[in-house]
Amino acid sequence: MTDTRGMKETQMTLRNRWMQAALGLALALVAVPALAQPAAPAPAVDPASIAALNSMSAYLRTLKTFQVEAVTATDEVLEDGQLVKYSGKTNIVAQFPNKLLADVTSDRNERQYVYDGKTFTLLARRVGYYATVPAPPTVRELADVLLAKYDIEVPLSDLFLWGAPGWNSGAITSAMDMGPGEVLGTTCQHYAFRQEGADWQVWIQKGEFPLPRKLVITTTDDPARPQHTAVYLWNLAPSVNDAAFTFTPPKGASKIVLADVGK
Amino acid sequence: MTRTIRASVAIALTVLFLGPATSSVQAGDRNRAKTSVNNKNVNRNTNVNRNTNVNRNVNRNTNVNIDRDRDVDIDIDVDHRRGGCCYHPIATAAAVTTAAVVTAAVIGSTVTVLPPACSVVIVNGFTYQQCGTVWYQPQFVGTTTSYVVVTAPR
Repeated sequence: MTDTRGMKETQMTLRNRWMQAALGLALALVAVPALAQPAAPAPAVDPASIAALNSMSAYLRTLKTFQVEAVTATDEVLEDGQLVKYSGKTNIVAQFPNKLLADVTSDRNERQYVYDGKTFTLLARRVGYYATVPAPPTVRELADVLLAKYDIEVPLSDLFLWGAPGWNSGAITSAMDMGPGEVLGTTCQHYAFRQEGADWQVWIQKGEFPLPRKLVITTTDDPARPQHTAVYLWNLAPSVNDAAFTFTPPKGASKIVLADVGK
Repeated sequence: MTRTIRASVAIALTVLFLGPATSSVQAGDRNRAKTSVNNKNVNRNTNVNRNTNVNRNVNRNTNVNIDRDRDVDIDIDVDHRRGGCCYHPIATAAAVTTAAVVTAAVIGSTVTVLPPACSVVIVNGFTYQQCGTVWYQPQFVGTTTSYVVVTAPR
């Protein structure tokens, strides 16, 4: 019957329309997510973490005189990749720009570094040897010369390099705030950074004195991934006089040389 | 992959140009954790002490044969067993001494342990060790002490 056919046609048209609508809706549902902006992923370098690092570094460079004691644990990598951890203690008195006294003891040896603005001396007290060389006029230049010419790293060198002229956080490829963390009873904020060759974490004291209280460095360019950990105790008002930075050879010590291994 | 190649080239070049470098890595060890995030080139592999093998047993309880690299024939007096067992003490000492003389004659070579029978001589304020005809100058390479063979200072 025409009516039926008409009805059928109408039904079909209606059904087609529904189908079209449904299809359209389905397509839209598929398209919308593709077209909509996904939520932006968190940046790899969290600006607040970098700001905290900058603030810590700037604070360090305001300190004219300080004493810091560090308890360290450092991995050595044996030839087949096995890790062996050695403990150490470092005690540094620094008076900027040009005085430094550092005592480093480890499970294996003991060294003293003395710098009075004119000369630098390395003392191996137990072995009975010391070596003295002329030195540049500032601690920062000394750190560079010691490393480049004699392959000697000033102990706890990061404490001198953070915030120094020429330093910036540009090497960092990832920065994260890990939340609060406690170091020796002090509340700190714990940050994790990555850069080429090293992943590292620093715990920055909360409050008025944003000092680094703990540093963990994981070396990532050795498959064994050795770690170095340092926990710091600070004295921001040590009593020192110039005599403390003047080297006198201990009785019986012999004068030797520092090998120049520079490029 | 490129990074590894670059790193290997960097390390190779570093060893080439700097020769026996680094202080901080212990004798016989391959590497050491970085102790600074702001220093460049902190971590160099040590080659200074690797060839002497004298101190190798200090760090590991392995079967390293202390006389492995020697050309000296020690079979006569030594119980021929690896693992550090049963060396005749006099033979061992003799082997070490002989080997030290063999390797130490080259000016510029470095040892970490002096041969026996050396005497301290001070020339121009600097200390030397005179061991027979061979003169050693104590030095710091980085913060590690060692002795380098030098021409007689006097």
